Amino acid sequence: MEPIIEVRNLSKVFKSRGRRITAVDDVSFDVFNGEIFSMIGPNGAGKSTTFAMMTTLIKPTGGKIKVAGFDAENEDDRIRPIIGIVPQKLSLYPDLTARENLELMGNLYDVPKKVMEERIEYYLKLVNLENHADRFTGGFSGGMKQRLSVISAVIHDPQIIFWDEPTTGLDPQTRQAIWKLARKFNSEGKTLIFSTHYMDEADKLCDRVAVMNAGKLMALDTPENLKKTTNSATLEDVFIHLTGEEIRD
Amino acid sequence: MDIKTEIRKSWIIMIKEFKQILRKKAFMIPLFLFPIVMIIFFGYGMGGTVKNVDILVINDDTGTASSALVQEIGTFIPKYGDVKMFSIIYTKDMGQSEAEKKIDAGLYKAVLIIPPDYSERVARNESVTLTLLTDSSDTTSSGIIISFMKQLFAGTSGSLVTLNIPDIYGKLQYIDFLTPAVIALTVFIGTIQTMGYAIAGERQDGTLVRIMMTPVSRGAVILGKTLHQLILQLARAVVLIIGAILLLGVKMNGSWLLVALVLIIFTFGAVGLGIAISAVSEDMISFQAISMLVAFPSMFATGVFYPLSSVPDWMRWIAYIVPLTYANDAMRTIMVKGQGLAFIANDLMILLFFAIFYFGLGVYLFRREAA
Ligand SMILES: Nc1ncnc2c1ncn2[C@@H]1O[C@H](COP(=O)(O)OP(=O)(O)OP(=O)(O)O)[C@@H](O)[C@H]1O
Ligand SMILES: [Mg+2]
Repeated sequence: MEPIIEVRNLSKVFKSRGRRITAVDDVSFDVFNGEIFSMIGPNGAGKSTTFAMMTTLIKPTGGKIKVAGFDAENEDDRIRPIIGIVPQKLSLYPDLTARENLELMGNLYDVPKKVMEERIEYYLKLVNLENHADRFTGGFSGGMKQRLSVISAVIHDPQIIFWDEPTTGLDPQTRQAIWKLARKFNSEGKTLIFSTHYMDEADKLCDRVAVMNAGKLMALDTPENLKKTTNSATLEDVFIHLTGEEIRD
Repeated sequence: MDIKTEIRKSWIIMIKEFKQILRKKAFMIPLFLFPIVMIIFFGYGMGGTVKNVDILVINDDTGTASSALVQEIGTFIPKYGDVKMFSIIYTKDMGQSEAEKKIDAGLYKAVLIIPPDYSERVARNESVTLTLLTDSSDTTSSGIIISFMKQLFAGTSGSLVTLNIPDIYGKLQYIDFLTPAVIALTVFIGTIQTMGYAIAGERQDGTLVRIMMTPVSRGAVILGKTLHQLILQLARAVVLIIGAILLLGVKMNGSWLLVALVLIIFTFGAVGLGIAISAVSEDMISFQAISMLVAFPSMFATGVFYPLSSVPDWMRWIAYIVPLTYANDAMRTIMVKGQGLAFIANDLMILLFFAIFYFGLGVYLFRREAA
């Protein structure tokens, strides 16, 4: 299988208030074209930071990232149009309607107007928001916001989708709807990279799982292999086995 | 990315900003009403005193009687003050129109013209008329100078000396002095505030980061937000000036185009300052706190409400380093004195310097932010 993302010796050190925080520590891995890839790890493990570097939002302190053959540091203008991002922090304009939020994204990604309108109708239906299209998102429930956030990341039909904890805080129905979307996008040939704190989700949905802890990559394999090599019954046991029992700050 | 894309993207951002702001009724209404309220309340409720005012005395007197008079003006200390009211500069042989130009240029607050036959006539106990030109665009100073001169002449040489006081800018009131500066002040504070919402507020909402993840450069984001501010603030200034003219009878003696030019340069600087403050504040609350700290000295130390000639020296020094001072002066020179580009060139240069400095600082801090 050919890699679509290549991460080599990646590290990121934040300096805040005189303290140095090593958020990502010499991490290397590949993401294969067309797979569903997930990152799990305790709070503060460095998942979001790794996402931010892969999506060209922040620059690494060390190491290299290639996305679809482009260098993340110098060719961000080539990478951005082909990736879609659902950030961990919800980020919709509360004073714009659902449709306006989608249109804004479509415009910023240069989606032709007609194509954009069609996609907006299509996706709104797909996530059952067609009757709320012209409401301000400020009044949306958490689940509605998350659904909208997910479709606003694909309005430009990206090749690679980054989801940072897309199902955190959602009810089982919405989670299942989002899994369905993930499988659908994957069946269209898109590569999916997402992070989650739900082990069942990673287990059921993903081809491969990367386990991060304190900035380091502890393991990367299929859920089955991970269970086998660590002698665990569930992915949750794998997680505890690899990252310990102590609670993180 | 090429320039066309940049501009298209910043246009998208700008349209979004307008959509958002036009929906914030609770923000838009005060944006327009506050300055009007300010003009009305301060306009009808304030006065003041002056000190160390530069006054030009054109003494054409061929005799010596005038020197006593001039001495009296030069040494006068107001009752409750400790500083001389005037600081006199002497000259001879200057026509009234040339003297008016000096006032237009803001060199003097007043010019007193003593005629050649002053001593002669006083000696012969004949009546004599002196001309007093005042910078009535500064209604407070001008009012105080006029009433002082009137008292002086009533006291000294009997009732024979009369004062001719031409109104060089037409009949003006304090409100005419106040309005141009209130416009500049509200553009300044309004820009910083809306920039705060547009950056610190968006950062708090997480939307700023979301925008940064799309194929749009930071430059285009800033440009879009800046264009939005320029249009918003210009529109606001025009509405306010027209409102002040129609509702309060304020005078607009100069060119709208020049007003626009001053405000565009000034808004650029304020946008930069707003971005810079946003960049150093973690959330909306700290943004509000810091911007208050910036806004207050601008409001009270720059001669919006009273002439700079009436404030203590230390406050004047603050005024000189605050850009609003120069915007106020330029706005008054245009709107009240009706003067052209030549007379505001200095102010414009200084404003341009501030604009480049603050805008550069804002862009620098904004770019550095996520690195
Ligand atoms: N901008 C920043 N400045 C300073 N430290 C940061 C910054 N962003 C992240 N960190 C730190 O880097 C470390 C990794 O954070 P990150 O958000 O990547 O973890 P995560 O795995 O996504 O955690 P979570 O599961 O809680 O989302 C944490 O210790 C965090 O405090
Ligand atoms: Mg995270």
